[in-house]
Amino acid sequence: MSTILLWLLTFSCLLFLPSLTIGIIRKTKARLQNRVGAPLWQHLFDTIKLLRKSETVSENSSWILRVNTVINISIMITLAFLTPWLSFKPATSADDLFLLIYLFAAIRFFAILSSLDPGSAFGAFGASREATLSVLVEPAIILALSAVALSAHTSNLSLVFALTANTPISQAPLWLLAGAGLFLSSLVELSRMPVDDPTTHLELTMVHEAMMLENSGPNLALLEFSSALRLVVLYGLSGQCFLHALHCIWPFASAAGILLSISIIFALAVVTSLIETVSVRLKWTRAPEFVAYGLTMSLLALLVALVTGVSS
Amino acid sequence: MNSLALLTAPLLLWAVCAVLVKNTRVLGILTAGWAWLYLAITCTLAAPVSLGIEPQVTLAPGFSIDATASWFMMLTATIAAGAMTHSHFFFQEEKLREPRPKSTHIRLFYACAALFVFAMTAVLLCDNLGFLWISIEATTLLSAPLVYFSRTRHAIEATWKYLIICSVGIAFALLGTILIFASSQHTSLSAGSLSLQQLIQLAPQLNYPLFKLGFIFCFLGYGTKAGVFPLHSWLPDAHAEAPAPASAMLSGALLNTALFAIWRLLQVDSACHHGRAAFGSNLAIWMGTITVVAASLFLIRQHGLKRLWAYSSIENVGLMLVAVGLGSPGLFFLQALNHSFAKATLFLLSGNIIQSTGSKHLSEIHGLLKLSPMWGVLLVAAACAATGVPPFGSFISEWLILSASADTGRWLVIFLLLSGISLSFIAVSIHVSRILLGTPKAPGSYRHPVLGSLIPAALMSFLFILGLTTGGFVSSTLHIGGAL
Amino acid sequence: MLGLAETLATAAAIFGIFMSGCRHVRSAIYLYAVQTALVASIAFVYSASEHTGPALNISLAVVLAKAVGIPFFLGWVVKRLDVRTDSGAFLPVPLSMHVSIALFATSYYLASSLDGAAGTFSAAAGATASISLVFTGLLFMMTRRLAISQIIGFLTMENGIYLLGLHETRGMPVIVEMGVLLDVLAAVMIAGVIVFRIKKNFKHIDVTRLTGLNEQ
Repeated sequence: MSTILLWLLTFSCLLFLPSLTIGIIRKTKARLQNRVGAPLWQHLFDTIKLLRKSETVSENSSWILRVNTVINISIMITLAFLTPWLSFKPATSADDLFLLIYLFAAIRFFAILSSLDPGSAFGAFGASREATLSVLVEPAIILALSAVALSAHTSNLSLVFALTANTPISQAPLWLLAGAGLFLSSLVELSRMPVDDPTTHLELTMVHEAMMLENSGPNLALLEFSSALRLVVLYGLSGQCFLHALHCIWPFASAAGILLSISIIFALAVVTSLIETVSVRLKWTRAPEFVAYGLTMSLLALLVALVTGVSS
Repeated sequence: MNSLALLTAPLLLWAVCAVLVKNTRVLGILTAGWAWLYLAITCTLAAPVSLGIEPQVTLAPGFSIDATASWFMMLTATIAAGAMTHSHFFFQEEKLREPRPKSTHIRLFYACAALFVFAMTAVLLCDNLGFLWISIEATTLLSAPLVYFSRTRHAIEATWKYLIICSVGIAFALLGTILIFASSQHTSLSAGSLSLQQLIQLAPQLNYPLFKLGFIFCFLGYGTKAGVFPLHSWLPDAHAEAPAPASAMLSGALLNTALFAIWRLLQVDSACHHGRAAFGSNLAIWMGTITVVAASLFLIRQHGLKRLWAYSSIENVGLMLVAVGLGSPGLFFLQALNHSFAKATLFLLSGNIIQSTGSKHLSEIHGLLKLSPMWGVLLVAAACAATGVPPFGSFISEWLILSASADTGRWLVIFLLLSGISLSFIAVSIHVSRILLGTPKAPGSYRHPVLGSLIPAALMSFLFILGLTTGGFVSSTLHIGGAL
Repeated sequence: MLGLAETLATAAAIFGIFMSGCRHVRSAIYLYAVQTALVASIAFVYSASEHTGPALNISLAVVLAKAVGIPFFLGWVVKRLDVRTDSGAFLPVPLSMHVSIALFATSYYLASSLDGAAGTFSAAAGATASISLVFTGLLFMMTRRLAISQIIGFLTMENGIYLLGLHETRGMPVIVEMGVLLDVLAAVMIAGVIVFRIKKNFKHIDVTRLTGLNEQ
């Protein structure tokens, strides 16, 4: 019975949390910049509006452009079910660390294909940049997740993120570092501020937007939703790392976990908007430097996992 | 306690004078007075120990004068007195030239010089590795303002290099000191000790791997300070950019104290092996040999007058390090004595020459014999003494170093040392002959003050007499240090 | 399972690594302050738990002087000189952070051979952290351009050495400790003065461009 309830809760999170999180980022950013900003649910409204619109497709594009949307949203929803991004999400059997990583890679692969497909200059531009970034950022994500997997002696992420009762306090740095590594890498992965500006439409600088340029109508709505879902899943994953660190220091009840795992996503959203307010987009040649900081956190997490793993 | 106060009083009064007296002319005379008074006090305190009347004089807990320290104390005080007396003449001359040094700068120079001599004496007196480290770091910090004196771009660059390279090197020596302290905690004295006497007593019980590691780090650190080969890069810059009296003190006194610290540590190391030559000695001998060879190669291509003498100092440091490694304090002192006097003379003279000709580049200094025959003769004599040419004591000490190496069958070391010494002699004599001969650029426009050659002449005549008597002295007292 | 002191030491080493990845001089100074405060708190922990370590007032002096005084002084120097960022000289800044992580791993092997207690990190954690700090400081000195960064690197190195002393020997004799502290403070002051002079004469404090003497 409770499992069904939890699934229901997960479903509703899956449906509404992406739009709400994007809304929070936009609203906080607007308030920080002394603007009123769009309503909190604007992203959802936009999605609904786009779904009702008709579609314009370039004559030069092939079936890949249309298939991409379907593949993208379906893999993303699968990922949302597999990844333990909410502590109350019931466990599934196939949530292996490397499966998740390669599903993320598959999404990126099809996105790149689809942006090359219509033959527009900007699409290819964005695609090459996206490919570069993903090459840079993938090691950081793999290392951060393997660090926590190493300390749990399993690559099954539901077991790794299972908030077991007896987590020693010495594990806290590991979780903190892994969380920081994941968060910094997901900023890059999600094309957020220091590397890419999600609000810009200056073609020469954008990465993510350039890739969606040729999509319109329902296609665009689904892609927007998919990328918002990717944001909450990745934020949820790094949020879970921070929750584990908190759990090492101050064990909380699993009921509190429901509230905490949602609020930590909101907290990370607020942090993102803070970062986007105070910092500027880095020059493209300096983007690898920012990725390097994420990689450092992940490497340190791995180091901590290795040395504490040796001693236990 | 009384004797400690007696020893420090002239130096502190000297520093106070430098702060209070505004007239640099008066200050120069006062400083020279304090320096000579300090030499006299040092001699009265150290003479009983060095003559063997008393085995040791304890000044304060952790500070005492033993036989070797007493010789080096007198040497340091003599060099300091000579350099300070000369610096009065030097600055009088310097004030006639543009850019004129500010009187505050001169006062800072004198104040730091006093404290620098104080720190160097402290190194010699220390019976405690911790105090030893503190004093050596203090010598770096207090001599940095001396190098910095002229405030030109080059001087600042040299000071920065000196400060940073030596501080990092000495930081490694602190690491080594900590490791040695840790090794002493594995003995019957579980609280550990830094006292050299206690360490020598406890030597067989020390945790040797830890001690060895500590020794290596200390060697690295104090070796940087002494200018041992791969770590010497600060030395030519600092010696070349410091004003002449400061260069004389750096070369004639500071390098000795750094080597003295290595010698202290080597005593503990050889005590670990019941007096047999072992790891530490081999390290010192080999590093010394490498230093001699490297410095002699550097000597060939030199363009600066004072840089030439700086590299010659590195060569001599190598020789002293070999003497230290051979475990003979007497030999170490003999080499140090001859080198210090010769090098002090050379630096002071070079200061005069640079002041007169207005250039420190070897390519622009010619015809010194025509300019000032007095300086020319002194320069030749001092260069001979620095490179170990027979009438001087350095020949005897180098000969003894080679024969002591032969006794232990180190033929490769002898070969390398011989080639290094001869190469440096050839290089120095080529450079010196270029300075002496030829035609001066614009004769007649130079000043060569007589007073400026007072101290160099005094030092050289002392060294000459010493050289003539050393042979007989050595053969009659072969027991100095046992291993001669 | 790590003890409190070892955890603090590891944290200090990690902050050292973060510092080596700092482009901004001011943030490097802040991170140095945090790292020094951690090192000093280890002195606190030892002296409170073992009664053989250095007296509490010594560690208090260390905190006040090194974690508060020196960062203030350096911050003032940085403000007066108006320098902000230090791009690395031989190695890009983030890469030097990765190198210092590799050095952290190296120091683990060095530390375990030093202690003779190979295999367990908890036994070698203190020594690992301190050797890593020494390495980080050295790397920082070698791969940065600004004179002020060299001072920070030197201080980090000194922290590592102090930490090794605490860990291996439970503190040197008090008088030696004080002398070392005094020397370090004096070194920083003198270096600070010379940095001002470098700025005045050269109009920059980039030590990789101080090559006037190499050409002689």
